[in-house]
Amino acid sequence: MNLISTLLKPENILVEFDAGSKKRVFEKAGQLFEESLGIAAGHVFESLFSREKLGSTALGYGIAIPHGRIKELKDTACAFIRLPEPIDFDAPDNLPVDLIFILLAPSAATDLHLQILGELAQMFSEKEMRDKLRKAADSQELHRLICQWTP
Amino acid sequence: MKIIILGAGQVGSNLAEHLVREGNDLTVVDVDEEKLSALQDRFDLRTVRGPASHPSILRQAGAEDADMLVAVTLNDETNIVACKLAGTLYNIPTKIARIRSTDYMNHPDLFGPDNFSVDHVIAPEQEITDYLRKLIDYPEALQVVDFGAGRARLVAMRARAGGPLVGHELRDLRKHLPKLDARVAAIFRRDRTIVPEGRTVIQDGDEIFFIAATENIRAVMKEMRRSDRSVRRVMIAGGGNIGQRLARSLELDYEVKLIDHNKKSTERLAQMLKHTLVLTGDCTDEDLMVQENIEDMDVFCALTNDEENNIMSSLLAKRLGARKVIALINRASYVDLLQGGEIDIALSPAQATIGPLLTHIRRGDMAVVHSLRRGAAEALEAVVHGDARSSKLINRSIEEISLPEGVSIGAILRGNDVIIAHHDTVIEPEDHLVLFVPNKRLIPKVEKLFQVGLGFF
Repeated sequence: MNLISTLLKPENILVEFDAGSKKRVFEKAGQLFEESLGIAAGHVFESLFSREKLGSTALGYGIAIPHGRIKELKDTACAFIRLPEPIDFDAPDNLPVDLIFILLAPSAATDLHLQILGELAQMFSEKEMRDKLRKAADSQELHRLICQWTP
Repeated sequence: MKIIILGAGQVGSNLAEHLVREGNDLTVVDVDEEKLSALQDRFDLRTVRGPASHPSILRQAGAEDADMLVAVTLNDETNIVACKLAGTLYNIPTKIARIRSTDYMNHPDLFGPDNFSVDHVIAPEQEITDYLRKLIDYPEALQVVDFGAGRARLVAMRARAGGPLVGHELRDLRKHLPKLDARVAAIFRRDRTIVPEGRTVIQDGDEIFFIAATENIRAVMKEMRRSDRSVRRVMIAGGGNIGQRLARSLELDYEVKLIDHNKKSTERLAQMLKHTLVLTGDCTDEDLMVQENIEDMDVFCALTNDEENNIMSSLLAKRLGARKVIALINRASYVDLLQGGEIDIALSPAQATIGPLLTHIRRGDMAVVHSLRRGAAEALEAVVHGDARSSKLINRSIEEISLPEGVSIGAILRGNDVIIAHHDTVIEPEDHLVLFVPNKRLIPKVEKLFQVGLGFF
C-alpha cells in the first residue's frame, strides 16, 4: 500500500486525452477537480500555471508532476492524465511529456503533499513502472498498477 | 512557451526575434502579408494574416493552446479587444497589451479581469520618454535604468581621463568614497568584456556598468570622468507623442524649446505646454537653428517620426555647437552605425520597449528587465522564491552561487534596503536580486538559477 493510492480516485484518471498543450492539460485538470470536488476550475488552472512559471515541474523521461495550493481545499487531491501525444513541458532533459500527475494541496500546510511528491518521484524513476503505465489498456489498469506499486 | 504576438510592426518584430532566440513557439498575426513574410524569412515562426482582434483569427493563431498573448498593434482598441477575447473565449492565462493613449492609461481599473482583462499594459512612448529623461538628468551617462521602483540604478557610461578613478584600481573606489557602496558589474574595453575585480585598472574609454543606490549615483559617476556642467537648456525637435511627453516631463526643471513643422500641432502644443517655448519650423533649417541659439543647448533631442530627418538634424545641431545630441532611430543597423560618433546617443524605440515586455514574458518572477548595449546585454531584477531546499540561491552567500560566466549580482533589494552585493552577502527568501548579464545568450542559464525545485508548493 502506498500513499498515492489512498488519494487517487479512479474517476480522476484519464487516458487518451488529446491535449496538444500544457494549457489544455491544466484546463482539463480544472474540470476534473470541479466535478469531483466542487472547486472552481479557474482556481486550479491559475494555481497550476503560476507555479509552473516559477520552475517547470517536469522530471524528465516524459513525466511531469504539476502542483499547487488551493485555499478552499480540505485535503490533498490528485489526478493522473496520460496523453497519446506528448507535449512540451520545459523539461530538464528537453523531452516532451506524456505522463502527468497533478497534485493539489490545501493552503494549511501539512507535509502529506511532500511525502506524496517523494513517492511519486520514486515511482516514476523506475523505468519498468513507466513502461507499464504507458502500456496500460485503460484507466482501471492504470489505477491498479499505481495501487499495487510499493515504495 | 506558446506565445501569440499581434502586430508585426517594429515592436512586434523585435519581440519576435528575441522570443524565437529564447526557444519559444511563436505565432505572429498581422494584416500585412509583406511584414509577415519578412519575418518568416528570417525566423522560425508561424504567421497568420488577418485582423488581430477577430475570434477566428485568434483561434487560427492557436489561442486555444497559447500560454500568452502579446497585443502590440498600433491600435489600442484592437489590442484591448484581442485581450478581452483571449480571456473570455480562449482562457489564455497571460495577456499583455500595448496602449498608446494616455486617456486609457488614466483609468487603470479598466484593465482588470472583469473589464478589458489585460494583465500587463505596455506604453512604449512612455518608456522612451522615461529613458530620455534620465539621459538629460545624467548627461554623462549612456543609459540609466531603475530597479526596486527607482531605489537602485544601473548606469552605463564611458570612463574618461580626468576622472579620479581612471588609471586606478577598482578597489580604490572605497578609499575615494568611503561612505558609500557601489558595485561595478561589467567593463567593456574595445568591445571585449572584462570581469571586474578589485585589481582591475580603469582605463580611458572603458564602457562601465555600475550599480548603486540612487542617491549615490552622481558621486560614483564623478569618479569615472570629470562631470560636464549640468543641463539647463534642452531643445526638442518633433512634437509628436514622444516629444510632447518629454517636454511635459522636463518643462518645470529645464528651459525647454520644442520645434515642430506643423503649425496646427504647435498651436495645440503651445496651449498644453505652459512652460515650454513652442516654435513652428524645420529643425534641419540651419538659419532657424542658429537663430534659436542651438550653440547654447546642453541637449538636443531629435524625436520626429522621420528617422532620416532625426539623423540630419542631430548631426547639424552637433556641428552648430549643441553639447549632447540624441536621435530617435528605428532601424537597428542605423543605431549601431551612428551611436557614439557625432550622435552621442542613438535610441531605437523597439529597444526601449523590449525590456518591459520581457519582464512579463520570462520564466521565473521577474520584477524588471532592461535591455542594454543596444540589445546585446541585459540587466534584470528577479525575485527569489522558495526555501533553502527548493531554491539554488537561498541561504547561500554570493561566492557560493555558481553564476554563468560574466554574469554578476550587483545588488540585493530587501524590503526597503538596497544592499550592494559582496562575496559574503547571504541571499534570503523574497530578496530581489539585480543581475547584470553581459550576453543575452546566457539568459536561459540565469532563468534556471531562479527556478524553484520540484518540492516547492
